Amino acid sequence: MKKAFSLFIVIIVLLNNNLLAQDAGGIKISGSFEKVSLVNFFQQLATQCSCIFLYDEKQLDSITVSLVVQNEALQDVVEKALKNTDLQFSFDHQNRVFITKGIKVITKLPDGFFTTQNRKDVVEMDSLVDYGLDVKKARSITSENKLYEIGTKNNTPKDGAILTGYIRNAKTGEPLVNTSVFIDNNHYTLTDAYGYYSLTVPPGQHSLNILALGMKDTRLQVAVYSDGKLDIDVLEQVTTLKEVIVSSRKTINVNRVQMGVEKLNIESIKRMPSLFGEADLLRVITSLPGIKTVGEASTGFNVRGGSADQNLILFNDATIFNPSHFFGMFSAFNPEIVKEVELYKGSIPARFGGRLASVLDISSRDGNSKNFTGSAGIGFITTRINVEGPIAKDRTSFIFGGRTTYANWLLGLLPNEYKNSRASFQDVNLGITHRFDSTNNIYFSGYLSNDRFALNSDTTYGYTNRNLTLKWKKRFNSRLSGVFIAGVDEYQYRVISDSNVVNAFKLNFDIRQLHSKVDFVYYKNQQHTFDFGVSTQLYKLNPGSFKPFSNESLVIPDVVDAEQALESGLYFTHRYTPNNQLSISTGVRYSLYNYLGKQDVNYYAPGMPHTEANLVETKSFTKGKFINNYKAPEVRFSARYAFTPSFSIKAGYNTQRQYLHMLSNTTAIAPTDIWKLSDPNIKPQMGDQISLGFYKNLKSNTIETSVEVYYKRINNYLDYKPGASLILNHDIEREVINTDGKAYGVEVLLKKPGGKLNGWISYTYSRILLQSNDPDLGVLVNNGDFYPANYDKPHDVTFTGNFRVNHRFSVSLNSTYSTGRPITYPIGRYYYAGAERVLYSDRNANRIPDYYRTDLSMNIDGNHKVNQKTHNSWTIGVYNMLGRRNPYSVYFISEGSRVKGYKLSIFGSAIPFINFNIRF
Amino acid sequence: MIRFNVLLCCIVVMVLSSCREEFDPPIKSSADNFLVVEGVLNVAGPTTIRITRSFRLEDSARLRGERNAKVSVEGKDNTAQLLSMTGDGYYTTPGLNLVLNNEYRLRIQTSNGKEYLSDYVVARQTPPIDSIGWDKNEDGVQIYVNTSDPANNTRYYKWDFDETWEINSYYQSLYKYQNGVVSPRTAAEDVYICWKNAVNTSIKIGTSTRLQSDVISKAPLVFTLNGNDKFSVRYSIMVRQYALDKKAYEFYELMKTNTESLGTIFDPQPTEITGNIHCVTDITEPVIGYITASTISEKRIFITRSQLQGWDFNQYCESVLVANHPDSIELYFANGGLEPYGSDELPIGIITGYFSSFPPCVDCVKRGGTTVRPPFW
Repeated sequence: MKKAFSLFIVIIVLLNNNLLAQDAGGIKISGSFEKVSLVNFFQQLATQCSCIFLYDEKQLDSITVSLVVQNEALQDVVEKALKNTDLQFSFDHQNRVFITKGIKVITKLPDGFFTTQNRKDVVEMDSLVDYGLDVKKARSITSENKLYEIGTKNNTPKDGAILTGYIRNAKTGEPLVNTSVFIDNNHYTLTDAYGYYSLTVPPGQHSLNILALGMKDTRLQVAVYSDGKLDIDVLEQVTTLKEVIVSSRKTINVNRVQMGVEKLNIESIKRMPSLFGEADLLRVITSLPGIKTVGEASTGFNVRGGSADQNLILFNDATIFNPSHFFGMFSAFNPEIVKEVELYKGSIPARFGGRLASVLDISSRDGNSKNFTGSAGIGFITTRINVEGPIAKDRTSFIFGGRTTYANWLLGLLPNEYKNSRASFQDVNLGITHRFDSTNNIYFSGYLSNDRFALNSDTTYGYTNRNLTLKWKKRFNSRLSGVFIAGVDEYQYRVISDSNVVNAFKLNFDIRQLHSKVDFVYYKNQQHTFDFGVSTQLYKLNPGSFKPFSNESLVIPDVVDAEQALESGLYFTHRYTPNNQLSISTGVRYSLYNYLGKQDVNYYAPGMPHTEANLVETKSFTKGKFINNYKAPEVRFSARYAFTPSFSIKAGYNTQRQYLHMLSNTTAIAPTDIWKLSDPNIKPQMGDQISLGFYKNLKSNTIETSVEVYYKRINNYLDYKPGASLILNHDIEREVINTDGKAYGVEVLLKKPGGKLNGWISYTYSRILLQSNDPDLGVLVNNGDFYPANYDKPHDVTFTGNFRVNHRFSVSLNSTYSTGRPITYPIGRYYYAGAERVLYSDRNANRIPDYYRTDLSMNIDGNHKVNQKTHNSWTIGVYNMLGRRNPYSVYFISEGSRVKGYKLSIFGSAIPFINFNIRF
Repeated sequence: MIRFNVLLCCIVVMVLSSCREEFDPPIKSSADNFLVVEGVLNVAGPTTIRITRSFRLEDSARLRGERNAKVSVEGKDNTAQLLSMTGDGYYTTPGLNLVLNNEYRLRIQTSNGKEYLSDYVVARQTPPIDSIGWDKNEDGVQIYVNTSDPANNTRYYKWDFDETWEINSYYQSLYKYQNGVVSPRTAAEDVYICWKNAVNTSIKIGTSTRLQSDVISKAPLVFTLNGNDKFSVRYSIMVRQYALDKKAYEFYELMKTNTESLGTIFDPQPTEITGNIHCVTDITEPVIGYITASTISEKRIFITRSQLQGWDFNQYCESVLVANHPDSIELYFANGGLEPYGSDELPIGIITGYFSSFPPCVDCVKRGGTTVRPPFW
């Protein structure tokens, strides 16, 4: 290596002689060589072509050449001779041939080199190419054969220079997220959500490695003197017959400080068999350990004993309140747009706040900045199309995706009573990315999802999510970068009934949230990194307005007063990595919540149940007036100790607060659930969690195993009183109960991320127990004893496997088992109002039968020819292959004059599906 | 009135492939024998209070009435009136003569020495029923009730009803087969015309709290699928209306959600139910029931088949001629499941055979009817 470098320097010197000569490569050679040594061979050639061969004799040592050529170009002859060696050759203008081992000598400056405006800087420095900090426009690197010099020689820092930049896909210009950038095990980093990396590098010459999934394994030669910038374009891995699988995250699970983080890219989501063949990221999420689905027909999920509303669902930093379509059958995220999904269930970073259980961070792709491309798909339920391309090449790009349904045919299969039913949904995504220069990027994201359904043309339900976000990412210098985010999130639902003129009404609910935040990352050096920032959001909530539908309607308009609140957060995190083994992340988030006027607030006698009888006074507050405040620091701590590169232990402790509550006495997220802000009567929910995890990678990191345990406490969780009426209730505090909870569990994961056979097996044991011990409450649920929450499912086993038969055909199998969810069973029967009825008592004391399901799907790709205009693929499969009738619920109703028990299964048979996709 | 029954939609999807199976989970119920009290203190007119006991889920035993209890109605005005046991768990009085807007409560002393007391309830005036109507579409007939209170005072309503309808046999039977002998029927034995009865078995409540005026429009009572024998001849429904207060309405609503609409995705979870009756001697003992006091408004309507165009009621009957021979008679009437209704006679009066058909075609009692004419018919 050293030798090659000195040779390189010599060549540069030689380059200064600007002699002109004919191109040596064109000279014709004839001759027959039988087992001659290379040195000898070159000497013979030199006589024919009057050219000079430059080489290191030691490198050519034992190599012999056997060749017969007749009037062939010199270039071809040399190429043939070196065919089976690792030797490289190149010609220059002076009939010199450079023979080198491994690295090819570049005899020409890059095209356009001398037209660059920064020429002066470059020439001043003793290097071929400079990527110092003062170069505003970092150039993109694609060639592996150059040596890249970083910074200036004279101010080399002792403790290493910082190398920063973006890693992008050379073909599409898309940033590559979670790409490993490293020199060796000690100098290792990953790119962030914008493809940005920052790596401490000791001064000197190194090979910089870039490993990204699906991209070509890239290795660059860098000579680092001081801090510098290097943007790198990486080529896509074109699948060849002999494939090399690049595994960029081989040790990521062991090395990451955070625990309880699940990451999925869209490719693995699409591979999994899905209901009706619609790739559904929320359903895939629920196959991971510690995450449970609310029910089969629902995309709501519970994380480590949290209720469905304790998950913060972010789509490009916008909060999505109802992430589902079609009564909850499908998630409202277009798989063609989504790039990656990250779920934090253990240590939630301090930059997130406002929910107790988890953060689901979904990011969409950036548009292709080089070419217009797109894809379209047809399935049983939706048609989808997405288009992306440059607006200004390499600077501005867009991505647009839309889905719509034609699910009405499903309803057409129903019995006559439903013949007038309709259902439809759409979602639309638009993303625009603009690069001002290498330090300033702007991202715009818009999201709209809309659902409408009606049954028997009587009552129409609809709900809509609308989100706009603008992000500006700025690199101040190589150590400090920041993201400025502002946006508006909106969710609303409406119910319209117009069949009976007298009662015709429309009911509206909406919640709007204006948010802004600033996140900074300060990268001091390999040991210390600081994250800090502030955020604030203004909530405006209309808890319900009930109005006559037409003039003839006798309905009295009833509007529950709008609620306003301001939630702000300030956070600081210190990530400390003293050495390879230990890494500690300490974070504090201070959250401040203000409940704002205009509002009339009820005050009750202290220590008494919230009932009309105990009402002391109702105070009116004017607009913008602070009614009451809640504030507290939240702790986010996690640490990792790696005993060996493939084994580590992690521990974490964090506390959370939640000021926005969903009130629901149903199990699933229903379109008519209402949200409520904390006020003087409804305290914020609080939770803390302690967790410990063991991570071990086996078989040279091809198999990942982990065991995580956690214990969690929840305070002020809102449960409802028996028979509570939540809609249009002006005094909702009278209907809810403060409940405390505890959750604990063990999560075991065995994962094989790559290879012909890949997938995971997870097992979770978890409990979530609630206790109503509020002294302000009249009647305690289950006498104040702990009782399991509706979604308490202790045992859960999931297998997800994918077997790639060849490059065009793969088979996926998904299998899941879980304990049945708790249910309140009757304890007796009685007669009342002409019928036998059932008597219920202890809440959730029994369970419905266990759940078991297996799905199968086959993915068939068209051919993989690179230059083909379109690529297509098919997905064929069966959901619930065994046709098992998994009970969704068990219930008892009075029919005629008898009580009958029923078991309801939502998918009572095997459901086949087929899906067609085309990419252009 | 507003039912946020999103679940219906889920049912939609469910029907596709879902299924509902009867299911008897292995439950060992612990609690039984709670007192169940049902009834309305009728301001003017007869009052019936029914007292029963709850029983275990797995018990095959039928309903047990509470016997020999001492039941009385007490007013805040220090009146007390006793009800007497008239049946298995039924306690009645021909008239309480309560004063409107006064408060009353029910006291029960059971034979096992326990005492139960209801909260005081206001004796309310129930407005008259405005009308009972019906809508017919190709699926069937929906009967509904309209009511209103010009004073805007009632707001919460409960209804119950009795249905009575006439049915006719396909063949008028002039003969009967009894003890191996075919003989002519007397007029008293006629089984051509019968009446059937049904009482409502689900809770029917309604409220106008969200409307400007106290109007209930088309509150559904009962839906009958096309082809049912209810409208094969003539049908009558008697609807009784009761004014409720808010708490009573909430009690019935909870009982309804608990026992009539559960199990689908967005349905609420079942919960405990508490009424307004408490055990005085053991305050932890649950008691089921809610006592209200009001006048009762009644209304009856009749619907004849000719009012319902295209009512699809059909009986499929065929006639078999059975030779008048003891062997044939025994073969067909004793063992063959047929009943005679007419005779095939030679002009000289000799019966050569009996026309016969299946019992439901001949005898309306076999279709669950009674030949006793209702007093109002």
